[in-house]
Amino acid sequence: MKNARAYFNSPWRVLIFIVLLVMTLLWLVPILTGLITSIRTFNDILYRGFISWPEEVTLRNFRTAWERGGLSHYLPNSFIITLPSLFLTLLFSSLGAYALARFKFKANRVIFFTFVGGMMLPFQVLMLPVFKLTDFLGLYDTYWGLIFFHTAFQLGFCTFMLRNYMRTVPGEILEAARIDGCSEVRIWWRIMLPLTLPAIAAVATLEFTWIFNDYLWAIILLRSDRLKPITAGLASLQGQFVTDWPVIVAGALVGTLPTLLVFLFLQRYFIEGLTLGATK
Amino acid sequence: MYRKKIFILIAVVMLFSLILSACEPERIVETVVETVIETVVVEGETVEVVVEREVEVEVLRDKEVLIYNSYASDPAPREADAEIVEMFMDEFPQYDVIHSTIFHEDFKQAIRAYLTASTPPDVLTWFAGERARFFIDNDQIMDISDVWESEGWLEDYPAGFRALSSVGGNQYFLPTSWYWWAVYYRVSVFEDLGIEPPTTWDEFIEVCETLKANDIIPITIGTKYRWTTGAWFDYLNMRINGPEFHIDLMLGKESYEDERVLAVFDAWRDLLENDYFLEDAAAYSWSEALEPFITGEAGMYLMGDFIRDSLPPDVIDDLDFFRFPIMDPNVPIGEDAPTDGYFIAANSQNPEAAKAFLAYLGSVEAQTYNAEKLGRLPTHTGVDRSMFNEAQQKGLALIDGADYVAQFYDRDTRPEVADMGMNVFMEFWDNPGDTARLTQLLAELDAYRIEVFGLE
Amino acid sequence: MVRLRRNFLPFLFLAIPILIYIVWVIGPMFYTFYLSLTNWDGLTTPTFIGFRNYQRLFNDSVFFLSLTNNMKWLVSFVTIPVVLGLGLAMILNRAIPGEKIFKMSFYLPMVLAMVVSGLIWGWMYHPRGGLINNVLVGIGLLERGPGWLSDRSLALWSIIIVAIWRQVGYVMVLYLAGLKSINPEFLEAAKIDGANDWKVFQKVLMPLLMPVTVIVLVISVIDSLRAFDLVSVMTRGGPANASSVLANYLYIQAFNNYRMGYAAAIAVILFLISLVFIFIYLWQVMKNELEY
Repeated sequence: MKNARAYFNSPWRVLIFIVLLVMTLLWLVPILTGLITSIRTFNDILYRGFISWPEEVTLRNFRTAWERGGLSHYLPNSFIITLPSLFLTLLFSSLGAYALARFKFKANRVIFFTFVGGMMLPFQVLMLPVFKLTDFLGLYDTYWGLIFFHTAFQLGFCTFMLRNYMRTVPGEILEAARIDGCSEVRIWWRIMLPLTLPAIAAVATLEFTWIFNDYLWAIILLRSDRLKPITAGLASLQGQFVTDWPVIVAGALVGTLPTLLVFLFLQRYFIEGLTLGATK
Repeated sequence: MYRKKIFILIAVVMLFSLILSACEPERIVETVVETVIETVVVEGETVEVVVEREVEVEVLRDKEVLIYNSYASDPAPREADAEIVEMFMDEFPQYDVIHSTIFHEDFKQAIRAYLTASTPPDVLTWFAGERARFFIDNDQIMDISDVWESEGWLEDYPAGFRALSSVGGNQYFLPTSWYWWAVYYRVSVFEDLGIEPPTTWDEFIEVCETLKANDIIPITIGTKYRWTTGAWFDYLNMRINGPEFHIDLMLGKESYEDERVLAVFDAWRDLLENDYFLEDAAAYSWSEALEPFITGEAGMYLMGDFIRDSLPPDVIDDLDFFRFPIMDPNVPIGEDAPTDGYFIAANSQNPEAAKAFLAYLGSVEAQTYNAEKLGRLPTHTGVDRSMFNEAQQKGLALIDGADYVAQFYDRDTRPEVADMGMNVFMEFWDNPGDTARLTQLLAELDAYRIEVFGLE
Repeated sequence: MVRLRRNFLPFLFLAIPILIYIVWVIGPMFYTFYLSLTNWDGLTTPTFIGFRNYQRLFNDSVFFLSLTNNMKWLVSFVTIPVVLGLGLAMILNRAIPGEKIFKMSFYLPMVLAMVVSGLIWGWMYHPRGGLINNVLVGIGLLERGPGWLSDRSLALWSIIIVAIWRQVGYVMVLYLAGLKSINPEFLEAAKIDGANDWKVFQKVLMPLLMPVTVIVLVISVIDSLRAFDLVSVMTRGGPANASSVLANYLYIQAFNNYRMGYAAAIAVILFLISLVFIFIYLWQVMKNELEY
């Protein structure tokens, strides 16, 4: 409360606080709407209007989305696709970032900027060739097709972030190791990576969310229903339960749970990750 | 420490996914008849006798895997479909069907991706007519003339369906069910207001007016996925200009700028400007627009018979239909009666299994099941017609009474033209009074027609 | 920095990442350029037709409609979220009660998959059962709520609102970090010199925040050009292309109408427009580099 009193030292402040409060509530409305909808039945909402005290409150929608909606296999699929991609992209980008950060060679700048530029590409420009490539490699409609793509596409961002961070590691530590006769790989593994852990954690949190939430590539590179991650699965949920919005919304909420949990518990890393490259 | 945990987690997940992707197909046990030569002592002499013995040998053979993709995503057909697959696997245990049901609209988009992949689905649901024709011409569909012959379908299927499935004397498609389109209405609503089902256009307008005056939405419709507008175009065109002109237009032989087409839009405009349709139709999919129909707030719906699949039983009891009203008695009667069926992908990895499945789908057993369960009309003449319910008899009579049967707007013409055409209908629907814009749209559509049909 | 002891060592480290990147990202990009000069339909082999696709694009009213929509999206994205995000960052930069919850609430939308946001908002926009129309009719403002996603003049803006809802938190976080990195002594000095709050903001804060602002603007532009998920889930570009954006139009041309060459041409145009902003971004990154 001491905080509060210190803060509200002028009427302006009070006004701003109220505006802030209203804005925040407005921002949370969709989430609240989602929660309310998911525990009611569609008939209830339609006949008594949305703004009404629910006649019955039920968890049935969640169960329907899970069992009949296929969420029970969509959700695990998302993990099966996201986690290996995350691991591989972090592995390769930390290797590449190390080379770009600590070695001076002519192509360094060019390679670095290629990674950065690739980050910004409109992915639609990759859509058709990647589709054909994935099929050509026999990876169409497989987990690995999608995993390889995500690994490759996220390399740009990860390499960029990790390389910037690795540059801030004092060179003396590495020099000392080299003098001691350590090979570069050992230096990377034993020294650089542990020191880069904060950045890796930040990037990992962001990447987990982005890969987990991917929709476009899931619908292009996968065909079978049993392989679909939750994003594509939710879209087909919309097709299956066309008139049952509470089921769709319940499914959406379930689908968002993992990223939500990651966000809630690893918020700090999230925000760090975003700001790592934006400011010095 | 943090790293180690993540490592372990990743390793576990990768292992898990590897295991999943290497799923082993089921094994089966077979009964094998063995021919054995035994030595038997007969009357003191040792004789060799050939004996046939039935031995249950555990022949661990992999089940043949068959990939079947279906677009039957509405609740009732989805169930029926799953049942049929079960029935097939029961009768033919050596086959394992991997059955995927894809949302109808997504399937239409995804099919080319399915076919061009190196491991396409073996059997797919699809529409007869121009839409299948396109793939046949591009060698994407397997020739199944042998199945037609061996199953006796050349005799058992009516000539019309045979023609629909053949190109150049060979059969490529298996048509299994068809249904009629009509104006469905709520009997109780009509009765309450003393309305008789209309037969002429003037009567129809009167019915709309009566409903409107009593605060009932005359016609409900959901145009979110656009194709429902195609139905209105089809019927207005066939009633005003006749089915021959309509089909010629579909085949690219007539122009969208023809004044006969403009007449269609004129009639359409009348309906729209008099507020006979559900408001904000574009916000609803076709089945979402059933809501007011179910609650009795709307009176009529121009739809295919599959409307039943999504209606609750008490509404089905209160349901009836009439032929789209006649506008000009001198014009031949055309009806939309789309035919659905199956085909085998040309690159199918397991054509034998696919053909076995197809043979089953086209059999009297499977078709009878569908006709009973879903109320569709079967194509196999071997199916017992006497078991048709009232609606099926009436629907059959409706189509029998027509002079010409079309497939449907987006099945009769090239898909790209249909896509653009339906966008024109949507834009027109949104602002029917803007005749200048309509002229422009039809000009663009016609230019595209010329391009697509290669007429330049 | 180590001078190369062995010339090939960094390349060893970079070998796999670069290889993967070339195969899956750079290569495909160039292949799309090639595809745009063909009339590939996804089935048969592509035949070279030169710039024919681009000529067709020129006469394609839906293409221009999509482009216009992207521009509307772009303008909305570089103004509203930036202003709101900056404002929120400034307010929340002080020790305010409930700080954490406020920040979290604005950032939450970013965490949700676009599909999820699209579905929940799509439900809120539902003409009969959705929250928005229920409220509008309930408080007597309107007799009948409009079809937010079915009205040709409202559809695009309804979607953009969702995009903005997501973007504000992101911009806010970026500016918060930017504000934190500003040495408070600058602000103190300005205040002592007698400058009022507004002048401090104008002459001191904004220039100091310029690097962040550039990043924010570039990302906003790029994201508005790439927008696909929300449109695809909420309206598929409808009704009748009213909410069509380039990315969605491209997808429909490629996977619905199988005009892959044509779709590739659209992708190339998208890329060229983005290129300008990619260069600006790279330039900003390079500036940061040199200051190192």
